[in-house]
Amino acid sequence: MNDEMHAVGEGPRHEVTLDEGAAGATVPAGRVVESEFASVAVRLDEQGNSVRLRVEDLRSGRVRFLDALELETVVWLEDGHLTQLLDPSHERWRG
Amino acid sequence: MTALVPSPAEVVEGESRYDRLIQPARVHGTLYTDPSIFAEELRKIWHKTWVFVGHESEVPEPNDYVRKQLADQDVVMTRDKDGEVHLLINRCAHRGLQVCDDKAGNSSSFRCPYHGWTYRNTGELLGYPYNKGYGGKNKLELGMGKVARVASYQGFVFGSLAQEGPSLEEHLGAAKGEIDRLVGLSPEGKVSLDAGWLRHQTKANWKFLAENETDGYHPQFVHGSIFGVAGSPIGALYSDNSTAVTRALGDGHSENDLRPEFRTFDEPMRWFGTTPDKVPGYLASMAESYGEDAHRRTVEGAPHVMIFPNLFIAEIQVFNIQPVGVGECVQYSTAVQFAGGHELNMRMVSQSIGSVGPAGMLLADDTEMYERNQRGVEMADPEWLDVRRGLVRETVDEDGFTIGAATDETAMRGFWSHYKSLMEADA
Repeated sequence: MNDEMHAVGEGPRHEVTLDEGAAGATVPAGRVVESEFASVAVRLDEQGNSVRLRVEDLRSGRVRFLDALELETVVWLEDGHLTQLLDPSHERWRG
Repeated sequence: MTALVPSPAEVVEGESRYDRLIQPARVHGTLYTDPSIFAEELRKIWHKTWVFVGHESEVPEPNDYVRKQLADQDVVMTRDKDGEVHLLINRCAHRGLQVCDDKAGNSSSFRCPYHGWTYRNTGELLGYPYNKGYGGKNKLELGMGKVARVASYQGFVFGSLAQEGPSLEEHLGAAKGEIDRLVGLSPEGKVSLDAGWLRHQTKANWKFLAENETDGYHPQFVHGSIFGVAGSPIGALYSDNSTAVTRALGDGHSENDLRPEFRTFDEPMRWFGTTPDKVPGYLASMAESYGEDAHRRTVEGAPHVMIFPNLFIAEIQVFNIQPVGVGECVQYSTAVQFAGGHELNMRMVSQSIGSVGPAGMLLADDTEMYERNQRGVEMADPEWLDVRRGLVRETVDEDGFTIGAATDETAMRGFWSHYKSLMEADA
């Protein structure tokens, strides 16, 4: 697991390969989901006893695993609550 | 020589500046070259009236966005999670930075790259980093700017930077029927403008384009090469023998109505320069949707209409004209796509590429005329542009609209009359 724990801001270097016929890119950390505002890679991780989603913030190298119940919770988050989480001072830039 | 007639730039008591510059049979060259007139146009036309910005089909999914222009304003057209379309001014409320940089994307929120201020895709500020500096969360009554009024007609999205004024439907007036005519050629009654926009930078005043779009006098000269190569029957429609008419639709809108010619031939798809055997699937879908009326629709074809100030529907393609400066504008163009019209849609894309694409044979010719026109009006003499063609034979049709022959300048006169009324109004 240690290879997943990059220091925030270090910024891992991934080799980007374009999938033939797909709009997105693929890096070792998975398929890239990105916009001009954020860039993350997602893939299913099967190292545990049940499958999880591994999400890596490609701009900082920070990694989060989300299990099935956590993902279901995200799906059911009220929009207002999700919007609160998008406030940059909510967690990451709390000050 | 003593000047007995005041110069057009001088204001005479009891007359507006525009009484001198815009006359029934001629308009003054400075209308295309004077930076102070362009600045006044921004205030009185582009920042006030309804301006075509884009189409709902460009943001089909919730949280889609595209960057657009509204005259000198960089605008982000968004679709929020509930499906509503917004036009945001692309400017951070903190330091004024441009928030969105990509041409298009999908995001529920936009984060300014300068200090991290984050906005919903409705423009509402939802937070800023290190909130203690502002006394906590939600302390600022700020957001991205918004185009004051946004409305759409048949998916065509318009914005007005004025809080008040005529509704979009009032502004469109008779031109609504022309948009309906276009949409009525889709078997599903719906068009999309999602085939991609070409961007043509043009060193000419925007009004040369608006006037030219329904000028039926130039095609035989300017477009002789493409008509010849393509063997197109369209050129002949713009002659003195044509039964087609030029119609001023009011409010500055106008059309070249070619239907009288097409009705005479009574051949479906002639308007498109093809024959029914080439598009049997499309015609079958039209017959299924509209029954007997499908014949009339496919004989009469799509409109050729200029909607003031910047939307030009040219049968198979749409142009979005945006001014940049007194002597520069941008023409964005895209192929119309009919829902349920796959067979025709492919042809419309290839025809559009052939006419307005990078090596296209239609728009390059027009643009050469626009740019030479701009250089010409910068010369001192003669000072005026003549717009009298057809005044001697103008009539009024059964709907009360002024009509001229196919090659007459009836549309230009309608344009100038409306332009004058807007420029004479208080800012």
